Amino acid sequence: MTDAAELERGYRRWTRWYPKTFRREHEAEILAVLMDTAREGQRRPEPAECLDLMTSALSMHLRPRVPRSDRSALNAVKLMYVGAMLELAVAIVILATVADLKANVLRTSPGLTEGEWHAVVIGQLAPLEVGAILSVGFWLWMAWSIGRGHRWARIVFALFFALNISSLLNGLVHGSAVYARPDLAIATLLCLVELASVAVLFRVKIAPSRPGASRISPR
Amino acid sequence: MQEATFLILTALAARSQHGYGIISDVAAISDGRVRLRAGTLYSALDRLRLDGLISVDREEIVENRLRRYYRLTPEGSKQLATEAARFQTNAATAIARLGVADGMAR
Repeated sequence: MTDAAELERGYRRWTRWYPKTFRREHEAEILAVLMDTAREGQRRPEPAECLDLMTSALSMHLRPRVPRSDRSALNAVKLMYVGAMLELAVAIVILATVADLKANVLRTSPGLTEGEWHAVVIGQLAPLEVGAILSVGFWLWMAWSIGRGHRWARIVFALFFALNISSLLNGLVHGSAVYARPDLAIATLLCLVELASVAVLFRVKIAPSRPGASRISPR
Repeated sequence: MQEATFLILTALAARSQHGYGIISDVAAISDGRVRLRAGTLYSALDRLRLDGLISVDREEIVENRLRRYYRLTPEGSKQLATEAARFQTNAATAIARLGVADGMAR
C-alpha cells in the first residue's frame, strides 16, 4: 500500500464520525482537502487533524440544522435546553428536600414507623427522581429532534406537556403541595417552560423534508 | 460573526473557490494567523449553506478527486458588507481615540 493510500484510509476512518447524510454529500471533497493539506510523506492523520475531524463531526451530530434566520425553531430548541436544565434541578431539589419531606410527612402522620417512611420514599420519591432524570434525556432528545426538523417531535412534546400538567394538577388536588414547597415551585416553573415551548412549537411551520436542510420554518 | 466565518466569506467575495483554495486564501488574507483545518472548514461551510450565505457553484474532478466550488449568495454578500462596514467603523473609532489618547499623553 502506498503512503497516500494508507493516509487516505486513515482519514476515512475519522470521517466515519460524520452523520451519514453529510458524509454522502461531502466525504469525497473533505478527503481531497485533507490529502491536499497533508505534509509530504505523511502516512497517518496527525492528532490535531483527528481532533478537528472528531469535534466537527460531533458538532454536526448535535447542532440544530435550522437557519439562524429561523428564530421560532431556534427558540424552541433553546427552551428544550432550559427544560433539560430545570429537570436536572428538579432531580437535585428532590434529593435536597428529602429531610423536609420526611419532617412534613411525620408531622401529618406522627405514628409513621421507619419502615413505613421508607415505603413512602420508595413508592413516591424514587419514581419522581428516576422520572426527572429520564426527563432530562427526553428534553435533550426533543431539542435534537426539533433541531433536525422532525415532524413528530411537536406532537410528542405536546403529549408530554399534557401528561405533566395533569400529573401536577393531580398532585395538587391530592395535597402533595404541603410536603415540599421547592418541589412545587420548580414543577410549576417547568410546566410554564413546557407551555412556552408548546406555544413556540405550534407557531413553527413544518416544511417538507429535504436532506441536509431544516424542515422547520416560521409561518 | 466569528473571525473564521468572516474570512471564509471574504475568500469567496471575489470569486468561487474550492475547499483547499479557501484554506489557502484565508491563510493569505490573515497573514498566516488563521489556518483552517478541513473539519473546521466544512463545518463552517455547512452552516453558511444552511443560512443561505453561500451556495455550490460547480464541481470538478481533478486527478480523480472531487473539487466542489462555493460562491457567495446575494444574502452572503450583503452580510459580509454589513460586517465589514461594522469592523471599519469600530477600527476608525479605535484609531481616532488612540490618536486622542496620544495627543493627551504628549
